[in-house]
This record gives sequence, structure tokens and C-alpha cells, in this order.
Amino acid sequence: MFGKRSLTELIGELRKDEHVAHWHEIKEEPAKYAPFPTLMDKKIKEALEKRGIKELYTHQASSFESVMAGKNIVAVTPTASGKTLCYNLPVVQRILNNKDSRALYLFPTKALSQDQKADMNEFIDALDVKINSYTYDGDTPANIRQIVRKAGHVVITNPDMLHSAILPHHTKWISLFENLETIVIDELHTYRGVFGSHVGNVIRRLKRICHYYGSDPTFICTSATIANPKELSEELTGEPMELINNNGAPKGKKHFVLYNPPIVNKQLNIRKKAMRVVNEIAATFLKEKIQTIVFSRSRVSVEIILSHLQELVKNELQRKSIRGYRGGYLPKQRREIESSLRNGETIGVVSTNALELGVDIGQLQVCVMNGYPGSVASSWQQAGRAGRRKDESVVIMVANSSPIDQYIFQHPEFFFEGSPETARINKDNLIILVDHLKCAAYELPFERGGDFDDVNVEEILEYLAEERVLHEQRNKWFWMNDAFPAHNISLRSAAQENVVIIDQSQVESHRVIGEMDTFSAMTLLHDEAIYIHEGIQFQVEYLDWEEKKAFVREVDVEYYTDANLAVNLKVLEIDKEKHIGDGLLEYGDMMVTAMATIFKKIKLETFENIGAGPIHLPEQELHTNGIALSFHRDQLDGIDQNEIEQLLLGVAHVVQHVACVRVMCDKSDLHAVPEVKAIHSEKPTVFLYDRYPGGIGLSESVYKQMGVIIQEARDYIQSCPCEGGCPSCIGIGAFSERNMKQAVKRLLGSCI
Amino acid sequence: MNLKSKLQRMKGHMNLEKENKDSVHVKQIQAEMKSQKEQIDVKQNKGIDLDESMSKTEHELDNDLIVKWKKLEFFPYHFEGQVAYQRRKLYAFSSTGLMNVRESLEEISQRWECSNITHPLSNKDVPLSRMLFFDTETTGLSTGAGNTIFLIGYARVLDNGIEVVQHLLGDPASEAAFMHGFLMDFREDDYLVSYNGKAFDWPQVKSRHAFVRNLVPRLPAFGHIDLLHAARRLWKHELPSCRLSIVEQEKLGIKRVNDTPGSMAPLLYYDYLHDKDPKHLEGIIEHNDQDVRSLIDLYIAISNRLFHKSNDEMTANEHIQIGRWFEQTGSLDLAKLHYEKGTMFDRNGSSEAFFRLGVLLKKLGNVMEAKDSFLSCMKMSAIPHVQSLIELAKIEEHHDKDVNRAYFYAKEAHAALKRGTRLTGPNQRTIADIEKRMIRLKQKI
Repeated sequence: MFGKRSLTELIGELRKDEHVAHWHEIKEEPAKYAPFPTLMDKKIKEALEKRGIKELYTHQASSFESVMAGKNIVAVTPTASGKTLCYNLPVVQRILNNKDSRALYLFPTKALSQDQKADMNEFIDALDVKINSYTYDGDTPANIRQIVRKAGHVVITNPDMLHSAILPHHTKWISLFENLETIVIDELHTYRGVFGSHVGNVIRRLKRICHYYGSDPTFICTSATIANPKELSEELTGEPMELINNNGAPKGKKHFVLYNPPIVNKQLNIRKKAMRVVNEIAATFLKEKIQTIVFSRSRVSVEIILSHLQELVKNELQRKSIRGYRGGYLPKQRREIESSLRNGETIGVVSTNALELGVDIGQLQVCVMNGYPGSVASSWQQAGRAGRRKDESVVIMVANSSPIDQYIFQHPEFFFEGSPETARINKDNLIILVDHLKCAAYELPFERGGDFDDVNVEEILEYLAEERVLHEQRNKWFWMNDAFPAHNISLRSAAQENVVIIDQSQVESHRVIGEMDTFSAMTLLHDEAIYIHEGIQFQVEYLDWEEKKAFVREVDVEYYTDANLAVNLKVLEIDKEKHIGDGLLEYGDMMVTAMATIFKKIKLETFENIGAGPIHLPEQELHTNGIALSFHRDQLDGIDQNEIEQLLLGVAHVVQHVACVRVMCDKSDLHAVPEVKAIHSEKPTVFLYDRYPGGIGLSESVYKQMGVIIQEARDYIQSCPCEGGCPSCIGIGAFSERNMKQAVKRLLGSCI
Repeated sequence: MNLKSKLQRMKGHMNLEKENKDSVHVKQIQAEMKSQKEQIDVKQNKGIDLDESMSKTEHELDNDLIVKWKKLEFFPYHFEGQVAYQRRKLYAFSSTGLMNVRESLEEISQRWECSNITHPLSNKDVPLSRMLFFDTETTGLSTGAGNTIFLIGYARVLDNGIEVVQHLLGDPASEAAFMHGFLMDFREDDYLVSYNGKAFDWPQVKSRHAFVRNLVPRLPAFGHIDLLHAARRLWKHELPSCRLSIVEQEKLGIKRVNDTPGSMAPLLYYDYLHDKDPKHLEGIIEHNDQDVRSLIDLYIAISNRLFHKSNDEMTANEHIQIGRWFEQTGSLDLAKLHYEKGTMFDRNGSSEAFFRLGVLLKKLGNVMEAKDSFLSCMKMSAIPHVQSLIELAKIEEHHDKDVNRAYFYAKEAHAALKRGTRLTGPNQRTIADIEKRMIRLKQKI
């Protein structure tokens, strides 16, 4: 390795690598322009020209025209396609038409709102018109808040603030709600699952307040590429939407490389650890000071890769030139990392999907993914981080041994040609709905006969009155409780409380370094766990479960920890059932109990198991929706009683993975549990259930698609190159005498 | 599936506004009081058939409630088909010997008139009958849209006595009647006197008014004196907290017997709504009545301290704090008078007063007297008074031109600071400043 090698040279070398499973080249694309719309004010045109914009991209022009015609729109906009003009132009036009017009911008995170404000203000300055745009979040000083409420034309905030600070205090925001003409929802695709279901209800509340004050705002949504942007936006806002997908922005040349690590154990089909390959690939680019982003799925893996990379390139770069970025870092720290990426001080960043969103970190040249990010949409978002403008860029996805990754690598057409996944929300999840009904009742009393946007809720209101949270009088339900309901409801996590992580390395100054939801804390912050924060190892000395505090101390050890969760299932009520093949598929309510049992210590260098210990934490209970696939005795004919468990494990493993791909969710959102003798049916059964209380519609969707899922699962096992089963297909090696792979395949086949 | 049973099953996952420790405590008190009350109620309510009340129409139930409220001297106020309740109660001077209240207030008003200064406590140009001593009771402590005011009370001092008016929200669906009744009793030139009303009660009134703003008149912009601010200034350092009950007890000598704490208001109101029995609210109504009358006493007590007319002996700290307040509002003469009073106390109290007096004298251009005052401060203080030493150093350097003395004082101040254990940010800046001064002085010597 002599001299400085360019990106093009490195790409050339990579092309020769025999482990590249697939090389996909995305051609550059020229821009498609449209003239300025005739309706657009002269002042706007001049301001745009001042910024060097003489025409609009096609999608920007279409957005403007549709919004000005009073339609709700959802614009599909890839990274760096000038999406801000899709909403800034019509919003400014409306303010020029009516100086009292107001707009509310919702961004999924605070960081994005800050970026937006800067962008908006730049535009307003060029415009030379009196338009006030403010961010309103936890950092807004008290003396500014009053001005924002009374005089902000554009109020930029996030759903959490809207939920807990704006809607419950709507009487202080009358001039906003009376004149609200436009609501902008950016990064629509992030509003899915639990978070999306919450936000859908916050929007129900928002519409209710607008209606009360006599306004009827238009919605403008922007979204990354997903299969159902129109459906998702209609579901989220409860309004009919028009789809704008004639993207006219230019694209630079991009290489998308699928890299499958070499097989190191042929019999078991075990491949070299993806994490190691990622480290090596990222290091070759970093050594040449080529700005590189590495995406990894879990917080722990981010920290492990970070420390490896810092070690690998320590001769070429300073430690601080490579940073980590993930949830759990405090906001200030994140802002600092973002800006040092923009100004080039930081060459490399290792991140969870936290950087998938439009946080402005400038443009990077290389993106390396540690494993398939879990969804096609997410992969494209992450890939968009490399080469945001017109330059050549390369994206390298390194496969794990997991079935999903191997499935994708076997079928690259699924990835490059197939449609991206659908994003789902379930606004009517009972727990989420009840939470927001309480908030809504706090804001305005409910009237008998009146709906909550599109859903009838009288039965729930009656229930809340029985519980003496509400009071019914003259056919109206009033909030009658001294609590402030929005404070007890977090839009982001299933658990209501977070565990605070306290570093007590220095006796005289304990400091809070992060926080984590309680469910994750069971397996990541138990006593003796190694918790890694920005590449530094901490050992948990004491987890105070009652007070939700984890006390940690800095350590320097050669291992990390990995905890096991034991899960128990009880079927409470069956809602639907059907026969598929010889098997029986049921869908209904379930109760899951989970308990963290033991943890293993795993050596950093070799990934070998070097010790274990027990975890003493109380059992957690979860009421949710799930499906049960139970097998008839005939289907297991000739199989040894003590082999059944392994067989079911194999089925659960492969079915869970295929189901997750189908319903666009993370493996941790849809759990799978096999039981040799299920309590409700006394039959061998595989369960899949939603990890969120009350369910968010995943298992219901699985119930509907189960026929296809089983078929795909069987085909997938069939085409796996291993002999008798491997971690990539049925999740276990061929340890028993029987060919487990054949047995799983046969069992699945009997359900078709 | 049956929604009700599903709701029951999910109950564990829902946070149905769990009771916090405080409200559990309140519930206990409530239970005790209830059991006492029930014994009485049982005697009174014998023979009422519960089923009978179940079958009554809503109209009849309304009438029942009106009858019950009348027993507590609350009378219905009808508006837009809604009913709110009002009580006017006169505490006549003749029967209670409260005559001096009126005299005291008139005296205070005259003093403000004569002194001709602006001050947050001034009731100059406010006719006595326009002062409203004001307090509310709410269904919660948060400041959001779901927190309802159910009781507004205020006291006025009239010719023949103190009148307490209370407006009660009979049910949450009658907010327009409640707000209307209250607005009808007001005049544009009324002047509020409250306890924490600027931060809590009044914004809350505004928020509730917003809900019925299309049905009732506009909310006038009242003048407003918030006595919590005054109490905090005077007593923050000596009282464990500035809650009205504590100030009453420590500074007004009022001891309440069997008082219902204000923190119980929300729960009592829910019980009232649930049982439709005004008796639940008797205690809190009495509490509010007492609160607004206490505000009169408190206003007099604080104002009299400002004018050296207090019947109680004042502390050095009170003089210093009042002095600072006058200094900040630009009434330097009045400030000086209080500082001088403060210097007449023994030891520690007076040293601070001497220091403040010195600073004020210097501001007034009276450097020599200021110097004496700083020297007296030094004499009275148990430990070297750093700020006085610095002031003395400045006077010696710039006014008396005695560089050696100036250096001596600066050195003393430096040493005193260094001996101190708390090297906080401001302290460190002071040290740096002194060191600069010492270097400069050294060059002049």
C-alpha cells in the first residue's frame, strides 16, 4: 500500500474480489425541469433566481400546483432531491396571499427541525418579506415561546412536542389554530409501527383542535421510497391524498455491491463474520481519507465496529476522526458529531439507522452496511448517504449468515427490481388509542355521538368514565383527573419509563451518559453487563430496577456480554382460525411473559464464549396479538419425541425471518417461539407475536399472508447450499442423526 | 370481540393515571374525614330512598342540586340554559371588630399617594372597593387545557364589612354560566391582589375563558398585585417555604383549625361530581374563603412593613430586603431609611445593612459617609466582609488617593477570599479582579 489511492482505483480493486456476489451499477440521470408555475408570486421567483435556481424540478412544480389547488399531497423524494421546496414554496405562497396564514412543520426529530429552520430562514431572507419562522421544542427559551405562539407564521416542531406541549395548551395557541392552512409532515416513512400508530393519533387530536377553532388545513407529506406512500399518508392523516412521484432531480453514478463473506465451515455453511469484513473494507477506504459511513443494526455492534476501526487505522488517523452515532447519545454530543462530519473533521462514522433520516451531515463517498438493514426502503435510505450530489459513489452491503441476508443475496432481483416494502400503522391499537383518547379528552371534552376523527369511541369513553378518569355530564365527557396525561405517554417506546445510565467512574461527579427503554435494559444493562458508549466500555455495577437507574463504571476488558431472554406464551382468546394444509393457523390475543435468564461473556477478538452468569430481574408481562401455527400428529409421523423441539425451532427460525421481510418489520418487533406442547391446544406449535402491547397489526398481516410465507420459507431452505441445515436457514446445525433440514422442509410442505 | 373485556385485560399495560404518593396521602385524610362526616350524614339522611333518586329526570336532579346548594347559601346563576352557583357573604365590621382593616387600607393608600412613587405594591388611584383579593381552586395542578377552575373567590372591603364572593362551577358542562356570572360582577377598573396569581390563577382564568369566549364578554385586563413575589422577597431566607399557610402562621399569626388543605381540592371536586353532594366541597369553600381574607391581612402586613408602621417587630433582614426592593424601583430615600433601620440591629444583621447603606450612599455621591458605613460593616461583621474591603480599596484608590491603604484593603480582601473554601466561578472571577487591582496598586506605590 504505497501512495494515495483514489476512490476509482479502490472501486476497480473491489471489482476483482471473488466474494462480490452481485455488482449493480446505477447510471447517472440528468435532471428533469419544469418552468416556474404561473401562480407563483414574482417575489418567490426572484428569490429562487438569487439562489441560482432558474427552473423547478418536475416534482417540485407538481407539488406546488396540487397544493395551491387545495389538495393534500404526498411527494416521494429520494435523498438530496430538493424536497424542501416541495413544501416551502406553497407555504410561502399562501402567506403572501394571506398574511395571517399559518403553517405547522413536523419533523421526526429535533435535529431535523433545526436544519429546516436554517434552510427556511435563508429562503425568507432572500425573499425580503416579513415571515416569521421558528422552531418550537424543548430548547426554545421561555421568553421566545410567547412570540412563537402569537406570531409564528411557520412553526417547526416534532410530534413529541405537538403531543405534550402544544395540543394540551391549545388555548395559548389560538392564533395558530384559527389560521392554520398547511401541515407539513416530513420523512413520512419513519411514521410506521408503534411510533407511527402514536403519531396517527396525535394527528387525530390535531385535526380535532383545528376543527374546534374552525380551520381545515391541507397536508403536505414527503417520503422516501416505500411501496405504499399514498396508503400510509392516508392512514396517518385520515385524509385523501394525491401522490407526487415524478422525481426530476439528477443522480450521480452509484455502484451497489453485494459482498458475501467467504465460507469458513463448509459443512455448517458458516461464513466469516460480516462484522470483520465490514471492518476491513471500511478501513481500506478510511486509510485513504475517503469519507465513509458504516451502518450497523444494533447499538452494541456500532460500538464494537467503532472500537475495531479506531484500532485498525490508528496509524493513519486520529481516534477522534472516526465517531459513533446512535440513540442513547445525548443531543449535544450528536449535534457536535453532525457538524464535524459536515466540515470534514470526521472522516468516518459508524451509525445505527439513526442517521438514515435527513440529518444534514453533508455528502459522503462510501457507505458500508453490516448486514441487510432489514428493509428495502431502509437500505436505499442508507445508500443515499453516499454521493448525495452528482459524484460517483459506492455502497457495499456485507451479508450476515442470517436467512434474510442470504435470501436477499440469492435473489438480488428482489432488492433491485422488486417493490419496496409496505409501511404499516395501527392507529386503533387499543392501548395507543386509549392513551390518546385521554389526551384528547384533556384538551377538549368529548360529545356523545361525536367520533374521534374516523373511529367511534363511545365504549372506551364509558370505560374511562367508569375508571373515574373522565366524568360524564349532559352527554359530554370531561377530563376529571389531576394528572397531565401527555406526560405519561411516550410516542417512541413501548415501555413508559426509560432507564437512566449513570457513570460513576469519578466518585465526586456522577454523570448521566444516556438512557434506554426498560425492555432493552433487561438484556443490555443487567448487573455485570458490559455497556459500550462511544467506543468506551462500561460495566454495569448495579441496576436499580425500581428507580430505573443503571450505575456503570468505565472498564477495559476483552469481552462483551450477550443476554438470553426466556419467553412463555398463553393464548387468551382466538379471533380467527383457518386450516393451511394439514396445519391449523389461529390468530388472537395472547399473554407473553419474558424474563432475562443468563448472560454470556464473548471475547472481542475471537467471538468465543468465555463465561456466563445469571440475571435477576422481575418477569415482564405483555398482552398482545399473535398467531399460532399448530401441527397435527400425522404431520410429525415418525419423528422422535425429543427431536420435535429442534424441528420446531427450525420452523420458527425460518418462518420468522421470511415473515419479517413480508411485513416490513424488525426481527425484534415480531417474535417467534416454538412450543412442543402448547397449553391451549396441547399440540406442537410455533407462535409469532407482536412485541408491542395490544399489537400493531404485524401478526394480523402475517395471518393473512401465511400461505405465501410458508411457501417462500420452504423454497428458501431448498435453495440453501448447506447439507443438513445451517444457521442461515433453519438456524441450527445438523447435530442429530436425522437430516433436520429435510424434516423442516417436509413439515413446511405439509402446510401448503 | 368484546371491547369491554379486552379493555379489562389490557389494564395492566395502560397507565390509568396511577395515584402518586401525595394523592394517596390525601386519600387517607379524606377517608378519615369522610368517616366522621358519614356518622353525621347517617343521622341527617335517614329515610332517603336511593332508588328514588335513580329514577328522577335530569331536570329534577338539577333542582335537587339547587336545593342542596341553597343549604350552603349558594344560589343558582342561570345563563344559556346552564346553572352556576354564587355565594355572597358579608363579614360585618360591627360584629367582628374588623374595623381597623378598612382604616389600615385607607392609610396605606394615602401613603402611596403622598410618597408619589411607582411600586408593584402601590394601590394608589385604586378605590378601596375596587381591590379584589383573589384566589381560585382547580381540578389539577398542571396549566394545560384539561385543568378546570371550579371555584373563584374574592374579597372586597366595603363600608360595612368584608364581602367574600364565591363562584362555583356546578358541573363541567356549565362553564359559560360560571364564567359569565363572574364577569358580570367585575368592572374594568378592578384591581386584583393574589398569591401566585400572575403565574398560575390568572393564566388559568384566561385559558378557561378561551373555551367560552364566544358566549361571554371579553376578559378585561386587570391591574394585578401578586403578593407571592413580595413574600418571597421578604421572607425567602427565613421561612422554610413561602406557601400561604406558612406565611399566615409565621407572619400573620393566623392559626387555622380543621382546615382542608388546598391540595385536596381536585379529589374533593371529583367526589362532588360523582355523588352530586355539595357537602364534599364545604371544606374547600371554607378554605378559599379564608384564603382571600388572609390576603387582605397579608397585604396590610407587608405594606405596613414598607412604611415602618408594622405592629410586629421587624427583623434586620426584612429591612434590608425592603430597602433593596425600594432601591431597585428607584426610591432611594425610602431604601436608605430601611437600611439605616437595619443597621440598628446587633452584629451580623447590621453588617449587611451597613454594607448596603454604603453602596447606596456611594451611589448618591456621599463618599465619605459611604466609607464610614463600610468601616462600620467591617466592625460589625464576624468575618472579614470581602465586598466592603473591595469598596474601601476603591474609595482609597480613586477618592482619597491613598494607594498604600488601598493596597492594604485589597490584600485583606484577597486573603479572605483565599481562606474561603468555596472557589466557585464568581468567586474566582472576583479573585482575578482583585489580583489585577493589586498589581496596578503595587506599580503606583
